[in-house]
Amino acid sequence: MSEVTTEWVVHGWSKGKQMSKKPKVAIYWLGACGGCDEAIVDLNEVLLKVASAVDIVLWPLAMDYKYDSIENAPNGSIALSIIHGNIRNSEHEEMARLLRKKSQIVMAFGACACFGGTAGLANFCGAESIMKWVFHEAPTVENPQHQMPQAESPWDGQTLTLPELLDHVYTLDQVVHVDYYLPGCPPPPDLISHAIFAVLEGKLPPRGAVLAPQKALCDTCPRNNTKPPKMDITEINKIHEIEADSHTCFLMQGVVCMGPATRSGCGETCLRINTPCRGCFGPVGGVEDSGAKFLSALTSLVKATTDEQVRSIMEKFQDPAGCLYRFTQPTSILGKRVKARETV
Amino acid sequence: MWKAVNSGSAAAEDALKQYLPPCQMKCPINEDIQRTNVLISMLPLDLEEALDGIVQIGDYLYEWNPLFPVCGYVCGLCELECNYQEKGGAIRRRLLKRFISDHYLNRIREKPELDVEKTKENVAIVGGGPAGLMCAYDLSRRGYRVTIFEASDRLGGALWLIPHYRLPEDVLTTVVNNLVRISGADVKMNAKIGDGKLTLDKLKKDGFRAVFIAKGTPLPRILTYGREKVEGQELSGVMYGQTFLYEVSHGNIQPGYFRGKKVVVIGGGNVAFDVARTACRLGGETTVVCLECADKSSRDGIPADEDEIKGAWEEGIRIVYSRGVRKIVGQGGKFQKIECPLCTSVFDDNGFNPQFDPTDVITIEGDVLMITVGQGPDRSFLHQEGLLNEKGGLAVDPLTLQSLNKDWIFIGGDIRRIGFMVEAMHEGLIAAESIERYLRGLDMKAGRKRQFEAQDIPYRRVYKHEPEVVWIPPEKRLHFQLFERGFSLKEAVEEAKRCARCGPCVSCKACLAIDIQDCLPTVEVNEDVCSGCGICTSICYYGAAGSRYKEGRMISSTDVFRCKACGMCVVACPSQARKMVGDTMEQKIDQVYAGLTA
Amino acid sequence: MPLHEPKIVCFSCCFGWGYLTGRDVLSLRIKHWIPVVCTGKLDSTHLLKAFREGADGVLILGCPDGDCHFQDGNYQTRKKIHLLHRILESYGIDPRRLRMELGTDPEGNTIPKLVENMARELKQLGPVRINGRQVSAGVSAEP
Repeated sequence: MSEVTTEWVVHGWSKGKQMSKKPKVAIYWLGACGGCDEAIVDLNEVLLKVASAVDIVLWPLAMDYKYDSIENAPNGSIALSIIHGNIRNSEHEEMARLLRKKSQIVMAFGACACFGGTAGLANFCGAESIMKWVFHEAPTVENPQHQMPQAESPWDGQTLTLPELLDHVYTLDQVVHVDYYLPGCPPPPDLISHAIFAVLEGKLPPRGAVLAPQKALCDTCPRNNTKPPKMDITEINKIHEIEADSHTCFLMQGVVCMGPATRSGCGETCLRINTPCRGCFGPVGGVEDSGAKFLSALTSLVKATTDEQVRSIMEKFQDPAGCLYRFTQPTSILGKRVKARETV
Repeated sequence: MWKAVNSGSAAAEDALKQYLPPCQMKCPINEDIQRTNVLISMLPLDLEEALDGIVQIGDYLYEWNPLFPVCGYVCGLCELECNYQEKGGAIRRRLLKRFISDHYLNRIREKPELDVEKTKENVAIVGGGPAGLMCAYDLSRRGYRVTIFEASDRLGGALWLIPHYRLPEDVLTTVVNNLVRISGADVKMNAKIGDGKLTLDKLKKDGFRAVFIAKGTPLPRILTYGREKVEGQELSGVMYGQTFLYEVSHGNIQPGYFRGKKVVVIGGGNVAFDVARTACRLGGETTVVCLECADKSSRDGIPADEDEIKGAWEEGIRIVYSRGVRKIVGQGGKFQKIECPLCTSVFDDNGFNPQFDPTDVITIEGDVLMITVGQGPDRSFLHQEGLLNEKGGLAVDPLTLQSLNKDWIFIGGDIRRIGFMVEAMHEGLIAAESIERYLRGLDMKAGRKRQFEAQDIPYRRVYKHEPEVVWIPPEKRLHFQLFERGFSLKEAVEEAKRCARCGPCVSCKACLAIDIQDCLPTVEVNEDVCSGCGICTSICYYGAAGSRYKEGRMISSTDVFRCKACGMCVVACPSQARKMVGDTMEQKIDQVYAGLTA
Repeated sequence: MPLHEPKIVCFSCCFGWGYLTGRDVLSLRIKHWIPVVCTGKLDSTHLLKAFREGADGVLILGCPDGDCHFQDGNYQTRKKIHLLHRILESYGIDPRRLRMELGTDPEGNTIPKLVENMARELKQLGPVRINGRQVSAGVSAEP
């Protein structure tokens, strides 16, 4: 990877010179669960180092802020915006665009920003049916007047506004131009600190890179060498339906593990507690749709003689779409959509 | 040496070992079996429409093997090594070849002469059998002026020993005579080299710069017991099977010749069975007596083909195993019976050394005795011409077939080592190459020693069973017409489809010939992306995708010789680390998709 | 409004379909035709992309079971179809739009007929929609 120096010359910091201004960093959540913020907090002592090296201008989890201060800041004045969460409503879109304007580097942080995340599965239902379900059809809802949240409501002579649910969940880069990606749900602390310091020290790969290893999980998985030369899947089990052996490859036990199609870098935290990989690091470099690729890989290993046998094996695979696209629906071949982007 | 033709960076190095399917390895001339199988499988099912394709296949086979129609009737060595044997039965390649030859025979009669200027030296071929004929054809193709000296009045050599119910006469004569016509070789019949003034030196004086001796084994072996010649071989009613078959082939034996007679045949090889089944067709009540036992899997097993034994048994021929002949008893100068002690073993660790139990003796009576215990070369000729070594064996280099005593003499075929027809043909080709190298002053041995390695059968879920071979029922087949029914077009296409195509792409290239692809694609692995998950290795049907350790990490690779570029691994790779190079499918897909919204 | 005329993308294996007729001749009769060397080379990505690019149906013509030139390529693709149908359903695409038939037709004359049959069956479904949204050029373009 070639090294790219950021324009605002952070070398000053690394060379120990006293900088008159610390680089500004924003950490912002869009359609997020808070886990990514938690991961940044999990940097522990390293966070203190980071906090002393930069000027955090926006971090809703930890600090008070107002949108105005961001709107009034000059364009490009924020050195790095770490944005996590997907774009589910109009506020997310607005803030994503705003931060893009104000930042030099935008990093899509976490599976939601990179690929859409689990909330991306909402694209299989559509905004309208979600709203209907949540506010009317769900069994525990009492809403006889079918009241629904409105984007604008008059109240006391004024107009109250709410962000509007977009009709589709978008990834960050489907709305604004993204410079770097840090996948994971959430990204692990070591990858986070590498990424942040890479930015601060100006040792970044070319823009557009994913700041995680290139290869799929099998490359580092301790269970990889338990695979026999001929891998035959003759049944599919859910993880709770068997007593999974903690050393053997999950696929060989009939449990769907997205590892072969998922980028490595997480340190196999799930596998170490005997849980199969769910694919939160998204596809490896060069692959557009990890779900489709995993489907091809999985079916190629299924061993059966007749069509009937294949069908009965596959029937046990409940909700293939949900499993294959758990984190990546908005980047999948059929799920992908782009909102008109402003150029940076 | 094959070089993988591809347009990717996955280039193949010059192989020291050539990978071939086992059938092509077993074939002494390494014929392109796989390729012709694929071509046959793609023929249209209408015979009229298929003729063009059949002729193309025939032309292709003829180019390297002008005797191929004969193979379709009498060979089938390839089937012995066919990988499909254990999976449902060897591919009936001999019948496939016969199918082509059945429809190609007419073409051979019309084929034009070789379009080659014969500007090179005169070469003499002694012996017009398969070895000599192949050599003559190959040398003519290379531009030499060839003269065949044949001792008898017809070309074909030992092929005439094969009864017409196995090899029809018109196939043999058409093939042999047209080979000579097409090659433009000169033939001298009734010219026995070694007879009187016709010596090798005379040939040299007459301007022949090299000579290939392929005189075969015209002399029948006499019957021995212990190391002694068995008495009684001159009795009336005793003949040598080989001589008898020649007489039959000349048409000198009338039908029904052995009616009412008991014929006893001594011998356990294919020729003995040819004799027995011929005698049976001439009306004789026939018995075969052989040293060997019935268990073909043992060292002492009867050498004749299973098909021959089965056919003979169906035709009512009795086979007596494990018996030697100690004495031929006559009465009044006529053959009456033979004394047969039990043979307890035929071979030992040093070779042929039959052992007998003299206390267990039976007698077999008969009117005619046929001795068919082998054939031998004309050793006196070899001795006269100074071609033997001190130990009395033939002084010849086995790789180049060049005589070690006289460098312008080349010796091959049955006269050197008795074997199958195609082995003799192979030696004819070797001799032609050697003669060319000798006359052109090139290195005699460079690049000629070839090593082959057989490829295994690819994995597949379902293997198919071989088709039944149809013979005329035994009671209806006691004549000299063919009793084996050949394939119809539909059967041929189906059987050719069954071929698993074990061999590497580079030795086949049938798909290029049929214009299904423009070039042989290759599969490349991007080692920066490959995670070593092993899915490609698991799915590859050809054992081409493999996993290995590189710098402590598992990485997959492709064996270029086994890979058929079928694309399964490319599709199955969850990291898209594999790519097809030289394949146009992706572009075609993009093109068509672009046209969808147009 | 006249019923939408479905666009069917047809993949067929060169070893089983149409190899006795010239490719240029057949391509005049089959509109969106992609002859491939073995249907086993078709990846899920190719098949899903077809719908994104505007195909209303995808028809795959493979060789009969047991007759694949590359041993089991047709079987490999068959296995994918099962799961792909369920994926398509999640995307709101009727699984009848993806079909694989095994057989052989050396002349290739039945291919246009098979495509027509499929088009006729899909006509009542209207144009393909992905999660309710109609596909049109450029909407699903890459970022």
